Amino acid sequence: MLLAVVQPWPEGKQPTDAALMERVQQRDSTALEVLYDRYGRPVYSLVLRISQQPASAEEIVQDVFLQLWRSAERFQISRGPLEPWLFAMARNRALDFLRLKREKQRRREDSTDSDLPFSAVARPDPEGDIDRSRRTERVRALMSSLPDAQRRAIELAFFEGMSHSEISEAMGEALGTVKSWIRGGLLRLRESLEEARS
Amino acid sequence: MDCEQLAPLYEEYALGVLEGEERAELEAHLARSCPTCTPGIAKARGVVAQLALYAPDAEPPAALRGKILDAVKSSNEASRATVPVNKTATKQPIFPAWAWAAAAALALVTGYSIRQMGIQTTQLAELRREMKLATLQSQALQNQLDEGRMVASVMMSPDSMPLKLMPKDKNMPMVHAYLHPHMGVAITADQMPGIAPARTLQLWLVTKKGQPMSVAIFRPDAQGQIAMVAPVTMPLNEIAALAVTEEPAGGSPQPTSAVAWMAQVN
Repeated sequence: MLLAVVQPWPEGKQPTDAALMERVQQRDSTALEVLYDRYGRPVYSLVLRISQQPASAEEIVQDVFLQLWRSAERFQISRGPLEPWLFAMARNRALDFLRLKREKQRRREDSTDSDLPFSAVARPDPEGDIDRSRRTERVRALMSSLPDAQRRAIELAFFEGMSHSEISEAMGEALGTVKSWIRGGLLRLRESLEEARS
Repeated sequence: MDCEQLAPLYEEYALGVLEGEERAELEAHLARSCPTCTPGIAKARGVVAQLALYAPDAEPPAALRGKILDAVKSSNEASRATVPVNKTATKQPIFPAWAWAAAAALALVTGYSIRQMGIQTTQLAELRREMKLATLQSQALQNQLDEGRMVASVMMSPDSMPLKLMPKDKNMPMVHAYLHPHMGVAITADQMPGIAPARTLQLWLVTKKGQPMSVAIFRPDAQGQIAMVAPVTMPLNEIAALAVTEEPAGGSPQPTSAVAWMAQVN
């Protein structure tokens, strides 16, 4: 229905992210609708996983897509695909929310006694050519194949925004062990995505 | 460390877990736009972003789509006066329905005013003044909101270096600064005393050679609060200190008064 409204996309063909972003840059809100239909679900899933609060997740996702609308002119497809940029922006927003929440919590405890530059996120990468469902399978299979502790360390880093030393403390493991787990896991992720592409 | 030694750390940096010397080394390469590390990090961010797909599938609320589109439309209406629109490339009408409705209403009101020998014309003019005022207030609030978001982004970024600018006068509050390698420096403070209209506060970066470089001029708001972000054009490792002085309104090329707040950086 929407595709019929936004001309002149070829009939029967899905518009590319680049074409949609070009329309967004021209303030065509129907293009943003298509982008939301394409990415709303994975972005919401990510933000909900981080924030753990549906109401907050809804607010953050709204903020992410509004930021996409407002910052559209910063997007240049020649510098990389949209998806990692969008995911990175959503993750950063959600982690900001998480840190603010923790800071408020910390301040409460104390009182009884707290748009990524586009070029820095997305460059030509190995993921662009692989469809998302295939990549999702890859990422999930890889994470499932990791030992529990190693998987947990990566989850704490990605979904909780913790540093090496914070993870070490949270898990009661040596800093070197945590570093090794995360480095090894990320290396396998990179290899898996490169392998899927080839 | 050279680029070859740093390459295995790219994904960890992109993930945000890297700390200490390794992170500082990598950021030093990024600060000088290292031709190996800069694209390496960008690629690593693309890889790390794929971990988003590990989040359990969740269905966004059905109403969310409508909320986003409503917000976009509101945003469009607020910024239409300033955002250029490529009229030839889109099939959007030049004026949206609301603009036609507003124009029709305005024509009716104007005609009525003429018939009423100017009485309503005066009222209409008053209404327009109020609308203009409301629009300006709305824009000012939006600007404040945007500034607040930028400050929060810098403050909360794991890449930012938090600093406390200590006052020389013990009766003055502390000023907090957050130095980010790309986003600039965020400054926040509460309970700041008022500044005379002919004066302003000025933020300086002091280089390791002792040279002060002006970053921004600023004033506390009516509640004595400061929340602002200013660009920083030099690598963080070349900054020795941040300082604030009081200067004549409009700022000075070089400090003309004693340092009122200061923090060592490296």
